[in-house]
Order: sequence, then structure tokens, then C-alpha cells
Amino acid sequence: MAGKTWAAIALFWAAAMTASGVVLAHHGWGSYDAANPITISGLIVTSEYQNPHVVLNVEANGKRWIIVLAPVSRMLNRGALAELMAVGKTISAFGYVSTVEKNELRAERVTVDGKTIEMR
Amino acid sequence: MREDAPALLLALEQSAYGEAVRQSVWLYPAANVGHVLALAAFAGAVAIMDARLLGAFAATPPAAVLRPTRRVALAAFALLAASGAALFIAEASHVAQNPVLWIKACLIGLGLANAAAVGVFGETAIADCPPHRPLPLALRAAALLSLALWLAVAACGRLIAYF
Repeated sequence: MAGKTWAAIALFWAAAMTASGVVLAHHGWGSYDAANPITISGLIVTSEYQNPHVVLNVEANGKRWIIVLAPVSRMLNRGALAELMAVGKTISAFGYVSTVEKNELRAERVTVDGKTIEMR
Repeated sequence: MREDAPALLLALEQSAYGEAVRQSVWLYPAANVGHVLALAAFAGAVAIMDARLLGAFAATPPAAVLRPTRRVALAAFALLAASGAALFIAEASHVAQNPVLWIKACLIGLGLANAAAVGVFGETAIADCPPHRPLPLALRAAALLSLALWLAVAACGRLIAYF
């Protein structure tokens, strides 16, 4: 009994730590097509500079894209300030198209005003 | 924001609080960190309580283990609920469409009901149980169920990001 109980406790802890340890990663990449990255260049139409992710609306070749960027703290750390991710700026975004929302792009890196910033 | 979401969810998301969590640089990550730290404390307390019900630490009477540990579990649960609410409200209209969130909510309900049942129906058996005597089978079964439910809750929490 005692041996089994300890084994159960060990298993519980191993699973709990695994579950909690990766929580800060926040979002997975499972539902983005990582095998076929594309580059979108266009005009920023709306900019939501907020958590959990900065989200831009970009008009490129007549198509409207939702571009998902990094959390605010990382954007600030890397110099991707709100003034740079602003409406009216031209942005080039390299990333992965969502397999669920066909007009959503998860950006790996973006270039604005000649400045390239990594999102991961 | 999804315009097709129920009005209550849109109201939550567009509330001053939801706005504050999204606009602040640190509120959202702080809620995220608080949630995982509270989970660690909660899981630890739950594991100790369930282990005692299952027969571990048999030299100590179960009531002596459960009483103080339950206080830790309740405090940690309050922190989990508060931080979880912040994470939910910030993107209520999106996350409410996530099936895993609702599975998690149901499992939390079952976990709480199970814990309440142990507290109410098992109170006498636990209080009267001396060291080294196994607790009734129903309580041991409830302890196993508790471990399974809270592990599943933690797993669902992580899986919300992938569905």
C-alpha cells in the first residue's frame, strides 16, 4: 500500500510539474501551417497593442490579414514599440497561416521602417 | 473580439477590468505567473491530502494532516480563481469558444463536488480515525478520483492554448 501510494504521489508530481512548467509558453503553434511560411507586405489598418498578443490588421494586395505578434512585454523589449506597429505604417511579416482562420498569420518576424524584429 | 459571442462575454471582455488586463504590460503575465504558482501550491496540498486518505503518513492521524493542508488548498484555490478570472476576462469572447475551457470548468465542478462530499460525508470517519488504520473504501476511492480530476484540470488548462 505505502509503496503504491508513494508511486502515485511521484507520478502526480511529475505530471503536475510537466503541466505547470510550460504554462508560460501561453500559445502553441499546433494550428499554424509551419511547413509553408509566407511573407505578407502591406499597410497596417488597425493595431491592437495589447496582451496576450499584439494583433494587427494589414491590407495586402486587396486582402485583409490578421497578423498575430508577440506579447506586449516582449514587443517592448525588442523595440517593436506601439509607434512602430502603428496604423498607416507599411509592414512586412514573415510567418505561418492559421489552419483554422484562413486570413490569420502568426508572425515569426516583422520588418517596419527598415527594422526587423523577431517574435520568438 | 468576436461580435458573434454572447452579450455577457462581450460585456466581460469590454469591461474596464478586461481592458486593463489587456492594456497593461504586466497584468496579464502576472496573472499567468500567479496562476501557475497557485497551481503548484494547490497541487501540493491536494496531493498531501489525497495521499493521507489513501494511507500514506499513516503514523499521523488523518485529521491532523488534512486540517492545515485544507487551508493551504483553499487559499491556493482562491488565487487560482482570481488569476484565472483575469486571464479569462481579457479574452472572454475568444476563449469561451474553446471546448477545452468548458471541459476544464466541468472537471473543476466535479473536483469541488468530490472535495465537498469528502468534507461533509467523511468528516466523522476522518475525525475518528486513529493512526495506522485504513480509512473507509469510499474515502480512498474519493482520494483517487480527486487526484485524477485535478490532474485532468491542470492538463486542460495547458491544452486551452492548443485548441
